Amino acid sequence: MRAVALELWLRDQARAASVTRAYCVAVLLELMNKSKVDVIFLFSLFQASQFFQLIFTLTEPSSQLEDKAFSGPAIDDTKLGQDSGKVVIWNMSPVLQEDDEKDENVPKMLCQMDNHLACVNCVRWSNSGMYLASGGDDKLIMVWKRATYIGPSTVLGSSGELANVEQWRCVSILRSHSGDVMDVAWSPHDAWLASCSVDNTVVIWNAVKFPEILATLRGHSGLVKGLTWDPVGKYIASQADDRSLKVWRTLDWQLETSITKPFDECGGTTHVLRLSWSPDGHYLVSAHAMNNSGPTAQIIEREGWKTNMDFVGHRKAVTVVKFNPKIFKKKQKNGSSAKPSCPYCCCAVGSKDRSLSVWLTCLKRPLVVIHELFDKSIMDISWTLNGLGILVCSMDGSVAFLDFSQDELGDPLSEEEKSRIHQSTYGKSLAIMAEAQLSTAVIENPEMLQYQRRQQLGQGGTAARETGATAAVAGVVNGESLEDIRKNLLKKQVETRTADGRRRITPLCIAQLDTGDFSTAFFNSIPLSGSLAGTMLTSHSGPQLLPLDSSTPVSFSASKPPTEPVATAGARPAGDAVSKDSVNATSTPAALSPSVLTTPSKIEPMKAFDSRFTERSKATPGAPSLTSMTPTAVERLKEQGLAKEPRPRDVLESSSDSDEKVPVAKPSSLSKRKLELEVETVEKKKKGRPRKDARLMPMSLSVQSPASLTAEKDTVCLSIPAPTLKLPMPGPQRAFTLQVSSDPSMYIEVENDVTAVGGLKLSRLKCNREGKEWETVLTSRILTAAGSCDVVCVACEKRTLSVFSACGRRLLPPILLPSPISTLHCTGSYVMALTAAATLSVWDVHRQVVVVKEESLHSILAGSDMTVSQILLTQHGIPVMNLSDGKAYCFNPSLSTCWALEWTGSDSPGPCLLEEAELKPTSAAHAPPRRQLARSPFTSDPAWNLVSDKQDSLAQCADFRSSLHPQDAMLCSGPLATVQGRASTSGRQAARLFSVPHVVQQETTLAYLESQVAAALTLQSSHEYRHWLLLYARYLVNEGFEYRLREICKDLLGPVHCSTGSQWESTVVGLRKRELLKELLPVIGQNLRFQRLFTECQEQLDILRDK
Amino acid sequence: MAKVSVLNVAVLENPSPFHSPFRFEISFECSEALADDLEWKIIYVGSAESEEFDQILDSVLVGPVPAGRHMFVFQADAPNPSLIPETDAVGVTVVLITCTYHGQEFIRVGYYVNNEYPNPELRENPPLKPDFSQLQRNILASNPRVTRFHINWDNNTDRLEAIENQDPTLGCGLPLSCTPIKGLGLSGCIPGLLPENSMDCI
Repeated sequence: MRAVALELWLRDQARAASVTRAYCVAVLLELMNKSKVDVIFLFSLFQASQFFQLIFTLTEPSSQLEDKAFSGPAIDDTKLGQDSGKVVIWNMSPVLQEDDEKDENVPKMLCQMDNHLACVNCVRWSNSGMYLASGGDDKLIMVWKRATYIGPSTVLGSSGELANVEQWRCVSILRSHSGDVMDVAWSPHDAWLASCSVDNTVVIWNAVKFPEILATLRGHSGLVKGLTWDPVGKYIASQADDRSLKVWRTLDWQLETSITKPFDECGGTTHVLRLSWSPDGHYLVSAHAMNNSGPTAQIIEREGWKTNMDFVGHRKAVTVVKFNPKIFKKKQKNGSSAKPSCPYCCCAVGSKDRSLSVWLTCLKRPLVVIHELFDKSIMDISWTLNGLGILVCSMDGSVAFLDFSQDELGDPLSEEEKSRIHQSTYGKSLAIMAEAQLSTAVIENPEMLQYQRRQQLGQGGTAARETGATAAVAGVVNGESLEDIRKNLLKKQVETRTADGRRRITPLCIAQLDTGDFSTAFFNSIPLSGSLAGTMLTSHSGPQLLPLDSSTPVSFSASKPPTEPVATAGARPAGDAVSKDSVNATSTPAALSPSVLTTPSKIEPMKAFDSRFTERSKATPGAPSLTSMTPTAVERLKEQGLAKEPRPRDVLESSSDSDEKVPVAKPSSLSKRKLELEVETVEKKKKGRPRKDARLMPMSLSVQSPASLTAEKDTVCLSIPAPTLKLPMPGPQRAFTLQVSSDPSMYIEVENDVTAVGGLKLSRLKCNREGKEWETVLTSRILTAAGSCDVVCVACEKRTLSVFSACGRRLLPPILLPSPISTLHCTGSYVMALTAAATLSVWDVHRQVVVVKEESLHSILAGSDMTVSQILLTQHGIPVMNLSDGKAYCFNPSLSTCWALEWTGSDSPGPCLLEEAELKPTSAAHAPPRRQLARSPFTSDPAWNLVSDKQDSLAQCADFRSSLHPQDAMLCSGPLATVQGRASTSGRQAARLFSVPHVVQQETTLAYLESQVAAALTLQSSHEYRHWLLLYARYLVNEGFEYRLREICKDLLGPVHCSTGSQWESTVVGLRKRELLKELLPVIGQNLRFQRLFTECQEQLDILRDK
Repeated sequence: MAKVSVLNVAVLENPSPFHSPFRFEISFECSEALADDLEWKIIYVGSAESEEFDQILDSVLVGPVPAGRHMFVFQADAPNPSLIPETDAVGVTVVLITCTYHGQEFIRVGYYVNNEYPNPELRENPPLKPDFSQLQRNILASNPRVTRFHINWDNNTDRLEAIENQDPTLGCGLPLSCTPIKGLGLSGCIPGLLPENSMDCI
């Protein structure tokens, strides 16, 4: 047994600080660990009772009832352990209680994890206690979670006491650092995990979505050896060997300040530089600073980052500073005047001189200094959660535990009080809701109780009592005892032969592994970045966007040899399809892609692309997005490919561009940093060119010059002179091919000026659908064509619009357009035509009605040099215009019928008068589109609704991450997402804590979410409506907005007792409102303060169901 | 440890006649689903002196392996007596169970095996030419010798670099450090040569 010399310096006689118990845990180690783990570091730990109290609300209640509290994990030290990399979790109760130490039934070591390939430098518990992060010389960070499914396991070949009592599994391995990981730190509330390394960087990981990287902080020019988060999450500080301490903002992950002055004199290096932030957030204390050649721990004030004070006294460099997690106030003595004293913090400082000092910020001298505690430098310090115990570990391989009494330190403030301090100082405490207050509320409704319970279970709380679980889990599988299984195992096990004749045994699974969902701890939030953007890109159901692009054909034909009279669209695929398709293929290979091609790859750039393409299609099998081209087109293509030098390069460039973007489609497999880059490139692309999305229908020739790829979109967009509103028209082309959809494969071929008998010139329209072809001829030259699975339409030079069925039957007599066609577009049975005079018409071919009749774009384009950049037609025939200023408008037919007489459609003939405008366009999915007969003269254009605005400041400030679930993000695709693509990234910028004062943030978030709900409603995108509504509701629940929530519920519920005069509609955009309400209920059930509302809705739904 | 850890190996039908097959019931735990099969081998060490007499009794592929605990029985025929040196037929030798993933061995479990004549008369006066039909095989099941190796569980190469003390040029993927284990049990263990991770439990 190692003797520990403890020398107590009782600085303050009145307080009579004493270290009541000091344990050398190394003793335990030697007793228990036969394999001679060299050095053990103990870090954070939870003392039994306190742990229970504090973690209770955060994790499953029953989990930590065990008197075996968590101990800090132990790790091997670099210098002694060769390359062991073992992390050990110790039981604290034998440390704290002598009886337990003697009791052989109390396990001392709970788990050993030896996954690290090299020595571990740091281990940290998450604030919730659910996860453990470890970082080591193997450049890896591992995140551990307790596996609950299984009882203790024995390690083969080891004696019983080495068995792991608890099972901790590595749930994530984070790879990014190129050097040893020196420190890791969980942000308050576990939203982020930071790690620093000798590669001079700090990496911020998304703790909700490992292994996503949110940011890599570069700026240090030396080994980064310590990290600490601001307790309110606004900053993170790092200290490095480059004699600087840097503070970074979490808002934008940029450098806030770099402090060098106190470190100027620093010579030599320490193994670690673990700095610490005070729990009240006011002070940051560095490791290893120098003042007048004396080693100090520099105190840095949050206000202005002033460096006026330091902790002096250690004889060698300070290696570790660690603030007590508690804020204390002076103990009120009976009888003494109750002077309101300032709360203060407590800080422990460990040094290379092997001594430990503990300071209170209200005292000028240390509370206690312990010399010669170890043989070697102190490596890390950890306070117990109750703030009264401290664990110190040293490079010599031992760990000391010291505990204090409240008389010595003071009265710790409760979490509530602490959060109040944060709130008063910084506006918002991280504890969004003081859970402590709610935990005292009585649950009145059994259903509510269930939801609460389920919620807690869902958080993946830790296991039931080990002892019980052991027998139960190990004993029985599927009701069959393990013994039975073993008896019959040989007979039962499936044995096959592989192709090469080898035996292959399918093992019998005797226990499932809980793959533990990593998501929702209580306050866990999802930064919007990546996830949403990713979904936007992978949206399959998005409607078609139609970039208008007039300048390109011009430039295209200009660059053509003059011998070729017309720039035919058949030639277009040469460069265009390649780049365009590759863009599309990256986002959704399965989705409809525009004029894609297979080219006999004789042409060099094609070849290059080809290989990429095959690679990609390998990655996503079953995405046949190839179409054939007419031989003539190929010929032409070849000519161009050979004739033009710059073009192939462009092709290469753009395809390589898109190649990088492949991962966007499957972000999970990628590191976040890369992903972000990817998203950025996508964004850049979008800026440069009309947005390409899943079902984008680019009409442009996107490959011209590299400049145009990155050029501002406006240059590509058509410009409309305000007064006349003349939109560009497609010029006549000799032939072109248009891919309508890839699944089923459908494309249209147009050939103009086919000489027919008698010198008559005809134009031929050919449509091929899954091999079935039909043809027809038109008398006028075809300018543009469009198609969907239901209809094919073409616009001709003579201003006629012809519509054919999918089988080639003419559906309507030619429609005469008021002015030449600019853009034609089809979705489902809807046909949209935008004329050069900027009027828009939409027909429903199926019902043969006009949905939008010659609506002018005047009102949305008026007055400025705005241009239309994209057009989109939703499944319900609602046109959406994306303008160059980033705004998107949709035309709402039902609003335009304000005060108008209208037909309700073909199935109910006879006019009916609508007295009032319908504020909500209800259920277009069910009701037939209305036919306008007249429009009121004074509502010139009331029907254009703003659905999206890129520059919307609301989106910038909205922070609803706490309401967002990862699975929700996956659902958010549809017209709105397509239109708003960019909003997601602006959200990323904004979605940081404390970017704006909390109240403002709440308001903007609400406003943003509400506008999203309304926009989804207007677009009649039921899917997105549901998504945003749920998100909105969740936000309301989280933030406690009762009235709005109640109103929503009321609307969704409708009248319980049916009255004939009721105006209530039971569906909204095709969704049953009451079904929606049922979905909302679990959300509402999550917040105890809404239990009344919950109960009310529940009961009324029950009544309705019983009816 | 890594992705697969062996929880238990139970020696079935022990002791048994020399010619009866070996049977091991192996339980292992997998922390994350494996893309490929595990390969298990039973190696019978014919003579302590030389690896030449090692016999691979059998090798099986085990898969698919999802995350969780699994077990299977590994049965292999008895060693071919003609390949065993006559002098080593009776006495103590070793049987090894190894498991490899992607050609890299990550665990090796060794057992002492004692072959002797149960018949006291034969034991007293063993025939010059060993009578294998009379021999009884007794595996010292209570004392497995377990050696674990860090291997590259993923396909990406960057991880390989992270592995210390492993010769990257090894074609078979066997860490160099296994070599000293070869004559395990007989030569005793030399702590300095053992891979760091090995558990000494004798």
